[in-house]
Amino acid sequence: MVAMTLLVYSQKFNNMEIFIQSAAQISIQNPLCEDWFENPIIPTLPYNRSIEPDYKQFISPIASRRMGKLIKRAIATSLSALKQAEIQELDAIITGTGLGCVENTEKFLSAMVKEGEEFLQPTFFMQSTHNTISSQVALFLKCNGYNCTYSHRGTSFESALSDAFIQMKLGKIKNALVSGQDEMTPDYFNMLGKIGYWKNEISTDILRNSNTNGSFAGECSAAITLATEPKEQSLCKLQDIELLYKPSKERMQQAITNLMEQANISSIDAIMLGLSGDKKNDDIYKEFAQTFFADKPICWYKNIFGESFTAPSFGVYTAATCLKRGIVPQHLCYNGQNIQDIRTILVYNHFQNKDHSLILLSKC
Amino acid sequence: MSEKLVVTGMGVISGLGKGKDATLAALLAEKSAVGAIKYIQTMHNDIPVSEVPFSDSEMKQMLNIPEEQLITRTPLMGIVAAQEAIQQAKLSENKPKRIAFINGTTVGGMEKSEQFYIDFLENDSHSQYIAAHDCGAGTDDIADYFGMFDVTTTISTACSSAINALIIGANLIKAGKVDAAVVGGTECLSKFHLNGFNTLMILDREVCKPFSQNRAGLNLGEGAAYLVLEKANDATQRGVTPLCELSGYANFCDAFHQTATSPNGQGPFLAMQGALQDAGLLPKDIDYISAHGTGTGNNDETESIAITRVFGEQTPDFSSTKAFTGHTTSAAGSVESVISILALQNNFVPANLNFAERIENITIQPNTKTKKKQMSHIMNNSFGFGGNDSSCIFSKIQ
Repeated sequence: MVAMTLLVYSQKFNNMEIFIQSAAQISIQNPLCEDWFENPIIPTLPYNRSIEPDYKQFISPIASRRMGKLIKRAIATSLSALKQAEIQELDAIITGTGLGCVENTEKFLSAMVKEGEEFLQPTFFMQSTHNTISSQVALFLKCNGYNCTYSHRGTSFESALSDAFIQMKLGKIKNALVSGQDEMTPDYFNMLGKIGYWKNEISTDILRNSNTNGSFAGECSAAITLATEPKEQSLCKLQDIELLYKPSKERMQQAITNLMEQANISSIDAIMLGLSGDKKNDDIYKEFAQTFFADKPICWYKNIFGESFTAPSFGVYTAATCLKRGIVPQHLCYNGQNIQDIRTILVYNHFQNKDHSLILLSKC
Repeated sequence: MSEKLVVTGMGVISGLGKGKDATLAALLAEKSAVGAIKYIQTMHNDIPVSEVPFSDSEMKQMLNIPEEQLITRTPLMGIVAAQEAIQQAKLSENKPKRIAFINGTTVGGMEKSEQFYIDFLENDSHSQYIAAHDCGAGTDDIADYFGMFDVTTTISTACSSAINALIIGANLIKAGKVDAAVVGGTECLSKFHLNGFNTLMILDREVCKPFSQNRAGLNLGEGAAYLVLEKANDATQRGVTPLCELSGYANFCDAFHQTATSPNGQGPFLAMQGALQDAGLLPKDIDYISAHGTGTGNNDETESIAITRVFGEQTPDFSSTKAFTGHTTSAAGSVESVISILALQNNFVPANLNFAERIENITIQPNTKTKKKQMSHIMNNSFGFGGNDSSCIFSKIQ
């Protein structure tokens, strides 16, 4: 009896398909649209803030005045993605954020350090915790469902995506809103500059042929929805996701093999990498490509979205969009020509060669 | 039954001291660790807290970490607690194939950032601490100390972080992504959150009085605790004796207010009910609830309402141990999981210190004295900012 129950359970686990139903972004590209696909803005500066949309269609002006930039972006991308996906009852809100609500944290910290402990106000503290984003989205949607926030450096978004994926596979939830959210304040940009995060000069050529460390900063708000039933608007299938900490070559090979076997996919059409012009990180990506996918086209996305702790969410977003449209545009191809009739993309990301993630996406 | 998840190791450090034995002794002796500030530099030195009774240097010595190595207090406490859990579960001697480390923290490297913030902005004298500021930095420090983990990530949901870490670890094992998981949280005190909670005017100037009508707020504490989770069959194969079963868990969102709980305790209600359903247990099966019980006006009232909604006439013994340890924020869920499991193993209900009188309009009151009781199932609650509400259930191995 027990054995039978387990059998049914594991079959259910393996057969259930998960789809990326919709996606929305606010970034250094034109917001809440796919202009970046045909007409990307090519960044030329080391520091770039997101282009803000008109928030009136999402948030009342009164509510809007009380919200920080990051919260407004999170609500707008979340609402936009949910609307496209036509999800009525949301089961989970899961956010990845490398730095959380930096602006509010800085306001409270700066007041405490510069003016002392006597006259501090609670507002910025209340809104400083990392999970303010997930909880404000839940509050806005009146969603009592599962709510979680990951803050794990450069793999915060993938941790969130993995959580949603696993809970859907286990049958605990039927759908999820997963997002990557990070803002880059001027002070934080300067601080990260001191430890080698940024270049002084940026161009596509510099990024592609870089011999120096550092990249350029963007900001990130990218929301996607996941569901178990495909719809006409579904972008792609999320086949599987694997998180790896300091994997050996053998472990990485095994993870790739497992992903492909589980998905019953024999060949991958392209790999989407977090190449950013930061030589020490790019070398790891190039070695990965050389070792495991020597003959495959390489795609990138940080060249148009910039670097942030949750930038990998743009990797998934761009790959999903390319699968829906069946083509990878020229400016996202790191080597070679644009890719036609694309059916499978492996998104690979690493943070300082410690945390690594593999996400396998395929055409619906 | 092979899908059953068990706890095979646990470790803790808090104001009560280092390790399970010190924790158990303090609980049985009804000895609070809340007292005057020793380490943290603040003008608010009239606010009682519960600090881990070791300096950073002392912890580095315990762990054979060179004094000059750059590591902040949050991961140091984390390593001390994780080491105890890992040793008990024999993870080094008989290593499971893939192990996850799921860590909860919110303040991250703030205790250094708040000291060197002006330097970060104006000069290069302490720039080495910039990379230690974010939550994940400390998780990596802990993971690198042990060098045994295949997956690591960081949960940051404020005061419910550690139970959420437990939930994520359990799901990773159930989904077959890993074979074992070290789960929990760590948080040191910072001037930042001491002042933050102070501006919210929810810090008691005395030792806190959870669930008492005269309660006047919470005491902040610091600490770390971790559990080792794995499947019962795997534990048997590795030759490790399980401490208890992790029989159920749930997380829900109150979706009411950033820092206050809804009047009917909807989020806490859903979390407790969800954990019972997940465990396949009825309210009458629970022998003890380790309540969140912070000592604030809002939490203790709404948690009482939610407990009554779930358990009704069958409300079991419950208590908050926050007056022992202070509120260890991101570590609270795992510190109190360790306390719950100690209570389960040793068959006692921990005391809720400083209770004077029942809350007005509330019909239930906590257990005020350490009490012997046969235990089968214990529920542990943790609720955080943003209405993030989690609950889990530990059960004796049948």
